[in-house]
Amino acid sequence: MLALSVAGLVPVWLYSPGTGHGGEISEVAAPETQPRQEVPAPQSAPPVVPPTAGSAPRSTAPGTQQQAPQQQAPQQQQRALSGPAITTSEGVVQVQVTLQGTKITDVKAVRAPNSNPTRMALPLLRQSALKAQSADIDTVSGATATSEGYRQSLQAALDGAR
Amino acid sequence: MAVRRVEHVMGLPVSVDLRDGDAALAGRAFAWLHEVDERFSPFKPGSEVCRYDRGELTREELTPDLVEVLSLCDWYEESTGGAFTARVPGRALDPCAVVKGWAVQRAADLLREGGASSFCLNAGGDVVTAGEPEPGKPWRVGVRHPDLADQLSVVLGVRDGAVATSALYERGQHILDGRTGRPVTGLISVTVVADDLAIADTTATAAFALGRDGIEWAAAQRDCAVFIVDEDRQVWSSPGLPVHIC
Repeated sequence: MLALSVAGLVPVWLYSPGTGHGGEISEVAAPETQPRQEVPAPQSAPPVVPPTAGSAPRSTAPGTQQQAPQQQAPQQQQRALSGPAITTSEGVVQVQVTLQGTKITDVKAVRAPNSNPTRMALPLLRQSALKAQSADIDTVSGATATSEGYRQSLQAALDGAR
Repeated sequence: MAVRRVEHVMGLPVSVDLRDGDAALAGRAFAWLHEVDERFSPFKPGSEVCRYDRGELTREELTPDLVEVLSLCDWYEESTGGAFTARVPGRALDPCAVVKGWAVQRAADLLREGGASSFCLNAGGDVVTAGEPEPGKPWRVGVRHPDLADQLSVVLGVRDGAVATSALYERGQHILDGRTGRPVTGLISVTVVADDLAIADTTATAAFALGRDGIEWAAAQRDCAVFIVDEDRQVWSSPGLPVHIC
């Protein structure tokens, strides 16, 4: 059994389905003994722009993604597992985790209080190694504050190319 | 009619790529940015910011624009426990970190109000997009690789959204932790995607000022997706990041 504490909000309990069950969607209820964590009150929105902006409740866990155990990862099928719907002081929260084998590839809130569920930013991040690439682009994000820096930048090349 | 124009404003190279507008409309956007520079620069003694900092104006006498900027500064200062601040002890009031994104977003709003529906505005690497450069395609916004100036670390596909990056490149450290007054460590590059550049830019700068704590702080900001490179060259990205598959 593998326990994930997602976003510090919702304890989601998962177990690996046996071989032959890969690809199934499993709904697993949280055990009664699992302690519920208090959800902090959302912070006030930044003023004026945009009126709806604000912080999602913060995670208190320093790690943003727990590694799945390495054993028993026989297959790479994608599975989506929903955690239990949990009533918090802020509303009902439910999280869905997508796994590729035992590796988490996505987490989203399927129910979240006071927000559009698909747009809620949960502080669970993907971690990867930094890679360099070149590609066809329209513009570049990244500080080019000085004139000299700009002259040598990719953005200058793009601006001058057309 | 398509218009491209580059100008140095507010100490930044500003590029506009207007796919459906005229030169006069682009001119209005640049005129606004020049106006902001006069009014909000902490380096111009006659600016509203400097006059307020010297006590020549009270908060009640400020323009609504500066009140809005200072309110944003205050909100992010509180949200980051003071790591982000427009008032580093011993230094003059400097709301530049908010002014830039806020002003460029307003410039984009001016372009929209003038009838433009497809454009990309880039101010020192902070980007606002509208519509699509061509039907069915998003604006492809490359994020500069923090170590390799001519390479990208990711390409984002954005429609009607903003992308801002705070980073330490070859010029050295330029963001201070307001709690200590010392240069920030922990992160190399923070990119934030949001609907509004004032939010994206300030969130990126504030996350940077928080150091490693800024990773989770930024990811928890509503309607923001992040792409963050830490000092160990590990990348942290939101599941909702609009990565463009080239």
